[in-house]
Amino acid sequence: MKPAPFTYEAPTTLAEAVDVLGRYGDEAKVLAGGQSLVPVLALRLARFEALVDLNRVDELAYVREDDGAVVIGAMTRQATVEADPLVARSVPVLAEATRLIGHFQIRNRGTLGGSIAHGDPAAEYPAVVTALDATVTVAGPGGQRQIAATDLYDGPMTSTLSDDEILAAVSFPVWGPGSGFAVREMARREGDFATAGTVVGVTVADGKISRAAISLFGMGPVPLRARAAEAHLVGADASGLDLTEVGAAAVADVDPPSDVHASGRYRTRVASRLVARALESALQEANR
Amino acid sequence: MTAVESGPAAGTQSGSHSGVGRFLGQSVKRREDARLVTGHGRYLEDVLWPDAAHVAFLRSPVARGRITTLDVSAAAALPGVRAVLTGAELNPLAKSFWQTAMGKDSPQPPRRLLAADDVRYAGEPIAMVLADSRYLAEDALELIDLDIDAQPAVVSDHRGVWGAAKDEELVHPEYGSNVASTLPYPGMPTENPALEEVLSSAAHVFEERFHQHRYICVPMETRGLQARWDPARDMLEIVSSTQNVHEVRSMVARLLGLSDLQVQARAEDVGGAFGLKCFVDKEELAVAAAAYSQQCAVAWIEDRNENLVAGGHSRTEDLTVTMATDADGKILGIKGHHVEDVGAYPTYGVGGNAGLAMMMLPGPYDVGQYFYSAEAVFSNTCGMTPYRGPFLMETVAREQLVDIAAAKLGIDPLEFRRRNMITPEQLPFSTPTGLVLETITPIETLDQAAEIIGYEDFRREQAAAREEGRILGIGFASYIEGSPAFGAAGAEQVTVRMDMAGKALVFMGSGSHGQSVETTMAQVVAEELGIDIDDVRIIQGDTTSAPYGTGTAGSRTATTFGGAARIAGQKLKEKILAVAAVALEASPDDLEVSDGVVSVKGTPGAAVTIEQVAAMAYAGHTMLPPEMEPGLEAKHRIRNPPLMFSNACHAAIVEIDRDTGAVDIKRYVVSEDCGNMINPMVVEGQITGGVVQGIGGVFYEHFVYDGDGNPLTTTFLDYLLPTAADVPDIEIGHVVTPSNTPGGFKPMGEGGAICSPPALINAVRDALAPFGGLPNVQPLTPEVVLDVIDGTAAV
Ligand SMILES: Cc1cc2nc3c(=O)[nH]c(=O)nc-3n(C[C@H](O)[C@H](O)[C@H](O)COP(=O)(O)OP(=O)(O)OC[C@H]3O[C@@H](n4cnc5c(N)ncnc54)[C@H](O)[C@@H]3O)c2cc1C
Repeated sequence: MKPAPFTYEAPTTLAEAVDVLGRYGDEAKVLAGGQSLVPVLALRLARFEALVDLNRVDELAYVREDDGAVVIGAMTRQATVEADPLVARSVPVLAEATRLIGHFQIRNRGTLGGSIAHGDPAAEYPAVVTALDATVTVAGPGGQRQIAATDLYDGPMTSTLSDDEILAAVSFPVWGPGSGFAVREMARREGDFATAGTVVGVTVADGKISRAAISLFGMGPVPLRARAAEAHLVGADASGLDLTEVGAAAVADVDPPSDVHASGRYRTRVASRLVARALESALQEANR
Repeated sequence: MTAVESGPAAGTQSGSHSGVGRFLGQSVKRREDARLVTGHGRYLEDVLWPDAAHVAFLRSPVARGRITTLDVSAAAALPGVRAVLTGAELNPLAKSFWQTAMGKDSPQPPRRLLAADDVRYAGEPIAMVLADSRYLAEDALELIDLDIDAQPAVVSDHRGVWGAAKDEELVHPEYGSNVASTLPYPGMPTENPALEEVLSSAAHVFEERFHQHRYICVPMETRGLQARWDPARDMLEIVSSTQNVHEVRSMVARLLGLSDLQVQARAEDVGGAFGLKCFVDKEELAVAAAAYSQQCAVAWIEDRNENLVAGGHSRTEDLTVTMATDADGKILGIKGHHVEDVGAYPTYGVGGNAGLAMMMLPGPYDVGQYFYSAEAVFSNTCGMTPYRGPFLMETVAREQLVDIAAAKLGIDPLEFRRRNMITPEQLPFSTPTGLVLETITPIETLDQAAEIIGYEDFRREQAAAREEGRILGIGFASYIEGSPAFGAAGAEQVTVRMDMAGKALVFMGSGSHGQSVETTMAQVVAEELGIDIDDVRIIQGDTTSAPYGTGTAGSRTATTFGGAARIAGQKLKEKILAVAAVALEASPDDLEVSDGVVSVKGTPGAAVTIEQVAAMAYAGHTMLPPEMEPGLEAKHRIRNPPLMFSNACHAAIVEIDRDTGAVDIKRYVVSEDCGNMINPMVVEGQITGGVVQGIGGVFYEHFVYDGDGNPLTTTFLDYLLPTAADVPDIEIGHVVTPSNTPGGFKPMGEGGAICSPPALINAVRDALAPFGGLPNVQPLTPEVVLDVIDGTAAV
């Protein structure tokens, strides 16, 4: 469990980082908190000629408000996100989801951008950005571009970033008044990646649901949106919903994987119940 | 951890065995902790020799196959690589390959250091690289050209599927059969006709097959060994992370055809072992052989991936228990059939635990007629190694069947146990397997556990909860912990040496790897000598200083070393008094020792310090009577019974999430009787650690192979250990009934791990009673549980 040799690069600005990365192309990998990358290297499941360490790129670590959105720099530690007052106020489900990531030691090192770039299908952050319709800003040799969260993933741990691009920031739209959110997951142990999980957001106006988002994680190769169930919700009365039915609808078309922890069948069953629980909680919050 | 002491004999230890003193019986803080919990422990990694070559093993990627290509030339040519060794070079060095405890002639699979010609489990070492660093060694591994023609593997436990391997393909063609061993041993009766009679005539007969999946030791410090052959000194020097330095020395000497005098072994702090390090396996031996053949220093520290895949596996068995009762639930007879998967190369002999499981299956009950049979089978998987409570299957199976039978008979499970437990009036009790139980208290511990957990109240709470749709359950399990001290293990020695400054150095062949031996044994010696505990230091884990011994394993340390320490301490005290008597011109009988001072009873003014006595014992030898040997040193080698016993009862309350099947352990109670406690805090620590391992085994840990013998749980991402967040407060009550061994101590180091699995499984079974039976599946993952609740279990 020792990594193969690599060159270590430690740029201090984003421009320099993009430049260094460009020189190596797909022979280099960006190092953020290292909580996913380092084990992969140590097991020699992957090897790169160079690692481009972003830990000295201070300009990538921030949380700020910008035009009705909360924008968070890629190198912001998960522990910072968890404790940030702006996040708590404006994107509370992001803080709630952060608490489910590993243990505090991992969140002290792990970054928002690292988790989202890594794209583990059972991870919390990718499901949050997918549910909230967040936008990701990436920087590459040709400048910056935006990617909608729902276009961010191609497959398990495969994002649509190209090899010479760096995820710079994530912009979370702030949902309006009358909104409520919840994240629910089943994990084998406290702090594990989810066996199955869901992030739910709803906006309620005049007793009716005007906006609904349901994402599922651990349920497929990428975080999924349960579009049919969402459509079923929008326009519906916020009270008297058959939550079980919504849960069932949310998993109707998914084909989750089986592994040593659970079968796909189990995941489907549990996810539908978690959606029901999350929706109940989100509706309560929306009605407050 | 909450200690509760109640019941007639509990709380204080008193009586003829004087179990409580200034240090004995006190929760003295662990002397090891100051260094261990502040990062100042010194493990193998901390003492690596700067000139050692670092080893990385090339391991088989498949479970079974023929090696068609093995070319190490490119690896050997990599700068920084000192040598690449294969079976062709290394295996001929192995002159003799057997564990001392098993003896030279006990059956075992054909041993080899490195795979040659063929591979027999995924992870089997094929070649070893010696390089300037582990990084370089792993780089070199990638340059080895290896081709294996894979063959169908014999795998019995894979992805939740279990079935004993049979003889379609032979794991070891040389052995001639995949059946490694059987019980009864050849020549013994193959059935008990009286039992058969009981089974055919009894009012009720219950039979269930219980499975226990593969789960493993996983110490924080993995295995490791460094060795240096120094031809100028004619000496092979070894530092190993081991429970048993003397066995390291013996194994290596035998392997290489050296004399015991040419090999020295020692251990530093050992970061856990749980049984994994009581024997010496091929990787460790290969490192010693490499040091010998290359005439240099060689070091290997197992990484976590190796530890999980190839560090030695445990459990993996089925036990079918048949039990006859009369109409009132009185047990009339028990029969067990045990099937174990011992993998390809079990570390000891043929690895099976059935011999001891057979002795212990009756447990704390008067079972009437009895019979036991067993079969251990090889498979193309990692070999079996002992893991805390190696033969615990007897308790795991019996305690489940007790609950099942009680439920079917409509008898409360506690009442069923009380009706069948050995009573105080029956002691000493001879079991059907010939064990004599003298001081056990199963009913007392059962009652204490029931009282602490509030059994009757819980039943009311459970009924109310069920009305609300909540799923609660309670489970109990009782057992006898049998600690084997066979052969040399029953004859441990402690030497207490007091130098001229009057401080006690205590030498023993133990191998503490978390048992607090430095604290508990110092308590015993300080108590006997009447000196301060800070004036005692325990020296262990070094073949050059320790009396010959078998290390720390099998829950023996308190009884064997503790008993020997007590008597050695008494002997030294007599010597101290004899010398002091000369100085004080008094009779030894009129002297007493307290707080490091020897004084004439009733005349405190007439006193000498121990330091003065010590100085006189050496430097003042001319003043001693001619028949008195100078110096202050005493030793005692104990003679322990081959099996010693303690007992306990565990009780658990669980609540199950109806939607996910997740199990929450709400309470966990242990009532135990380990006789006189040297240190109640240490006793409770041992219990707690064991219970945590049981929680891991029942709910989280599972080493999984696929049907081709490929390991699937190769990192901590998939092999799930319980964390602090998954473990409840563990409440412990004590019943104190001294044993008849010196000190009145009893073995208790493994009990937490032995009794917790059935207590937890029984709690889940009780919770799920309204939904139907639990299938014969382990571990109890949320999916297994949810399948029962939803009625979708594939039984
Ligand atoms: C014990 C343990 C438990 C964990 N449990 C969870 C859990 O429950 N849920 C969960 O979601 N995660 C969990 N994780 C993973 C953790 O959240 C990681 O922090 C996260 O997956 C990766 O973030 P990082 O900053 O450490 O990235 P790194 O490990 O440094 O990088 C991960 C990948 O992303 C790429 N990358 C990183 N930053 C950028 C960037 N700015 N632009 C482009 N590419 C980038 C890297 O090149 C690499 O491929 C756990 C980790 C551990 C060790």
